[in-house]
Amino acid sequence: MNTDSDYLWDKTGEPDREIQQLEEILGTLRYQPRPLEIPAAVRVGRERSFFRGFGPRLPIAATIAMLLVGLGLWLGLQRLQRRQHIQPSEVVQTPNKPALDRSQSQTGVNSPEENHSSDLAVAPEPIHKTNDTPRRHRVNQATLARNSNRLRNEAARNTQLAANARQGAAAKDQLLLALRMASAKLIFAQKKTQSTNPRDLIHNQHKIG
Amino acid sequence: MKSLSKTSLKLASLVAVVVFAATSASAQNPRIQTSQLDVLAAKASQTVDVNIDEGLMQIARNFLSNKDADEVKVKELVNGLKGIYVKSFEFETENQFSDADLESIRSQLRNSAWNRIVNVSSKKEGSVEVYVMHSGSQISGLALLAVDPKEVTVVNIIGPVDLEKLSELEGQFGIPELRIEHSKTKRKN
Repeated sequence: MNTDSDYLWDKTGEPDREIQQLEEILGTLRYQPRPLEIPAAVRVGRERSFFRGFGPRLPIAATIAMLLVGLGLWLGLQRLQRRQHIQPSEVVQTPNKPALDRSQSQTGVNSPEENHSSDLAVAPEPIHKTNDTPRRHRVNQATLARNSNRLRNEAARNTQLAANARQGAAAKDQLLLALRMASAKLIFAQKKTQSTNPRDLIHNQHKIG
Repeated sequence: MKSLSKTSLKLASLVAVVVFAATSASAQNPRIQTSQLDVLAAKASQTVDVNIDEGLMQIARNFLSNKDADEVKVKELVNGLKGIYVKSFEFETENQFSDADLESIRSQLRNSAWNRIVNVSSKKEGSVEVYVMHSGSQISGLALLAVDPKEVTVVNIIGPVDLEKLSELEGQFGIPELRIEHSKTKRKN
């Protein structure tokens, strides 16, 4: 093999014989620029699914649907909680219903109509009432509590004022009584002194002082 | 040793000054104790016990009218007063109390701070003693002890009381006069 030749580098110079033989053998395997031929038996690509036809619209719609369901559940829970808050105060507002039921049960005769009416009486009417009541007329429990506190404070203040007035009036009466007694005794002493001694000691007490 | 004795001498003199000040302050207190007379309440047919301290006086003063002339006078009179205490016992019969019962009051009034300005004594009509305590040129307290065969009255007024105005009050506020003098005169007749 001639190693000084540049044939292997840039195909210049004298080629070696063995290299030529190798080129001839391996040359059959060199790249042939020709189009790909696919056999007819082989099926290229996947089958089209049903959902594939909707494209990206389906996941968007599913997301929106899930959001709507979640929103619906949340609103339902909120309404349920609100009902549970309002229900006790409205039960207090309708105290005659149980009495009606009791009177009906005491008679012992229950016609179907009566049974129906008693069922109506037992039915949770407050819930219907709550639904029928417009939102702006619903009682705000916090405001109600605040108002009741304010009323209680005002009542306490009025009671305190009345007690103060009573105490003041009693103090005034006591003061007048004390002054009246003191004045009476003083006048008695003054008159006695005047009758025994012409000098008016009481009158001149400032001079003495 | 010398400095120790000087210090103890100073301390002793300081204590003496404090004790003297406290004693003189209590001696100058125009409030007299009348609780010893409470034993008479059991025998009395009628008892009057009025205790108006400074706070109650303030409340009572606020309830006095500024429009009514009589109440205006009272307001002027009680202005500056710190207390009025009255204790009176009326008995159905005579000899229900003795001088010993009144000694607790008289002993307090014998204090040098009190000056007796009136002393009327009669076996039939009883006696009236009026004492005043001065603070400078102003009256700082009044004590009155009226003893009748069937009645004992002690009045104690704390503060600058005007005796002239006080003696003018009887018969006002719609309250009839006690007519003590008239009843005595009738009894004489």
